[in-house]
Amino acid sequence: MSAGVLGSTQAVVVDSLRVSYGSVTVLDGFSLRLPEGSACAVTGENGVGKSTLLRCVAGLQEPTDGIVTVFAEQPGRTVGFWRQVATTVESPSWYQGLTVREHLDLVRLANGCDPNDGRIEELTDTLGLAGLADALPGTLSSGQRQRFLLAATLVRPSRLLVLDEPEQRLDHAVKREVAACLRSYVTSGGTLLMASHDDDFLGAVGADRVVLGGSR
Amino acid sequence: MTVTNDIRSAAGTSAPQVRRWIRQRQIAANGRVEPTTVYSVLLALAMAVALVGQPALALVWPAGSSSSVSAPATVGLALLGFYGVLRQLGPVVVGRGDATWLLTAPVPRRTLSAPAFLLTVTAAVLVGVLAGVAVAGHAATRPVSPAQLLTTVAGGCAATFALACAAVRAQRTRAAARIFDTAGSLAAAALLAALVGAQVVPEPSPQPSLPATTPTTLVVSLAAGIAAAIGLARAWAGVDRWPIHRIIEASAITCAYADVVYAAEPSFLSELSTRRFWRNRTGIRTSGLLRRRGIPPLLAQDLLLVRRKAGRLPWLAALAAAPAALADGPLWALIMLFLLGAMAAAGLCGEPTHSDAANPSMVRLMGLSRRQVAVQRLVMPSLLAASWAALAMAGLQVAGVLSGPWWILGVATGPAAALAAMQRARASASSIGSTLIETPFGAFPSGMLLWLVNGIDVLAVLTLPVMVAVTSSRELAWHAVLAQAAVSALGGLVLWISTGRRPV
Repeated sequence: MSAGVLGSTQAVVVDSLRVSYGSVTVLDGFSLRLPEGSACAVTGENGVGKSTLLRCVAGLQEPTDGIVTVFAEQPGRTVGFWRQVATTVESPSWYQGLTVREHLDLVRLANGCDPNDGRIEELTDTLGLAGLADALPGTLSSGQRQRFLLAATLVRPSRLLVLDEPEQRLDHAVKREVAACLRSYVTSGGTLLMASHDDDFLGAVGADRVVLGGSR
Repeated sequence: MTVTNDIRSAAGTSAPQVRRWIRQRQIAANGRVEPTTVYSVLLALAMAVALVGQPALALVWPAGSSSSVSAPATVGLALLGFYGVLRQLGPVVVGRGDATWLLTAPVPRRTLSAPAFLLTVTAAVLVGVLAGVAVAGHAATRPVSPAQLLTTVAGGCAATFALACAAVRAQRTRAAARIFDTAGSLAAAALLAALVGAQVVPEPSPQPSLPATTPTTLVVSLAAGIAAAIGLARAWAGVDRWPIHRIIEASAITCAYADVVYAAEPSFLSELSTRRFWRNRTGIRTSGLLRRRGIPPLLAQDLLLVRRKAGRLPWLAALAAAPAALADGPLWALIMLFLLGAMAAAGLCGEPTHSDAANPSMVRLMGLSRRQVAVQRLVMPSLLAASWAALAMAGLQVAGVLSGPWWILGVATGPAAALAAMQRARASASSIGSTLIETPFGAFPSGMLLWLVNGIDVLAVLTLPVMVAVTSSRELAWHAVLAQAAVSALGGLVLWISTGRRPV
């Protein structure tokens, strides 16, 4: 299976990827080319390997076989990789005792950006987090936490976003805003790889679809 | 479909009957308690008595009465510790299964929490008797008459019942919790100060301080014990009118403690305590400290954490007096207390390190290297540990145990203690050892044992100069300060090299 636009610089290259959990093979011979500045959404039933693929691209999981490169290097090996790639594939984590706003400040500062340049305010307004600036992440509802996680991912500069079901637990209004943010990210040259079950959301983002599990 | 004509009141349902029904099903599924389990528990108790019975007995009932304020003050601190344990555990709790299935059903809570009540009463009696015996053993004129012993034991039980009653009321309402917890903290501070005072200004000729027992004091003690027991029973009796979340929250915490014992994963405890601490914090406002230029972000985060935990700083400062208060004890205990205290002070802002080790997604999001994280996260703990160690050394100087500007050696010890605290914060028992160790009591994971000494090994190595200095002379040797500073710096260098530029 392959997808992508040939002829431009490849952000993600997946070649003959195979991932097995014990005797169960989740991905078998999967290939993907994702050029810079494109958006790709992996879809398919539960358990077909969407999150596994994203984890391999983020370097958080070692494939059983096959090659994965991101910006022509092996994923997850260097600090430089994490400067370019932002992901929500991992289970979320936050620091106890820091407010939502302070987390966003911290992420932006650590990435060498100015937390006072208005980007945080813009994003928290868009995602409906403005009134939650002083809240501790542990006290947020699951939907608010998802918005907070997306804000922390989008508030920092990156070249590739790897998002696992970003529309999960979001209400319709925020879902539209997130889709607009992601579309704008891709328009400005960023690359997006995500997994999703929501066709409307994918349409709003304008991502190419790759259906997993069709050959199994 | 909603059926309303079968709704019954809580009083009409028998909790013991329901619990008996559940127990019968459990026995049918899992069988009764294995004889080997009973054997293991009895053997463990016998071994504990054989190993620590004699020293523990000497602690409670020494060869001769020692007088002064030290013994009663220590007993007072132990009693406050009992209150602290009760507050941590509940004390009104039910099991996890009961909390899920029975607490929300029309089953009387009083009988549902009866096992916890019995356990609390048993613990109160045990601690009260021990406290009473210890006070008589230390402070009464020998030979101690049975009436005197009965008076102190009744007094001890009165105190523990009163503390248990306070803990129950504190669990019921936040206002009571504030009052009792503050009173407990103030009492603990006063007792600690009395202990330090007794060290700094020793009594010229200590005499047994407990007055002789009269029939009046005996009757008053017994009456106080009975009154406190009735107060506890009455406080518990009102449990059916409690807001349910007060019991559910305490039950969840106690069950998590049980998980710690069952899964041998003590790091659950620190996570639990951290979550509870921050959940109960209100009025936090976003600070501009992180946005201030010139402060590395993770250092700013640690500064912010310390600022938000400012309430713990006076406690840390007060605990720096502990080595001086216990200066009469063996030297090894003094050194251990000093070093572990410095490590604990460094651990005040160890939560982010533990969090990053457990799940490094935030560090990845920040795009920082292991070295950047380690270096920035070392600064604040080093400052805290250095300040604590300097204070503790200054206390020992004032108490006359040491002579010279030993506080400088305390400052040099700070980074070493911070490195040890960092090592401890990083690891959980399951992450450092999952090999099972076979014992007569059954198999348990090695991680538990390794976790107990985790960080302490680093502390022992990096603080060798201070240990040698304290054991060899009362006077400060400057080469010891230089040696400690060099070893601390070496520890920092090893951290710098080992973390490298790799991502987390």
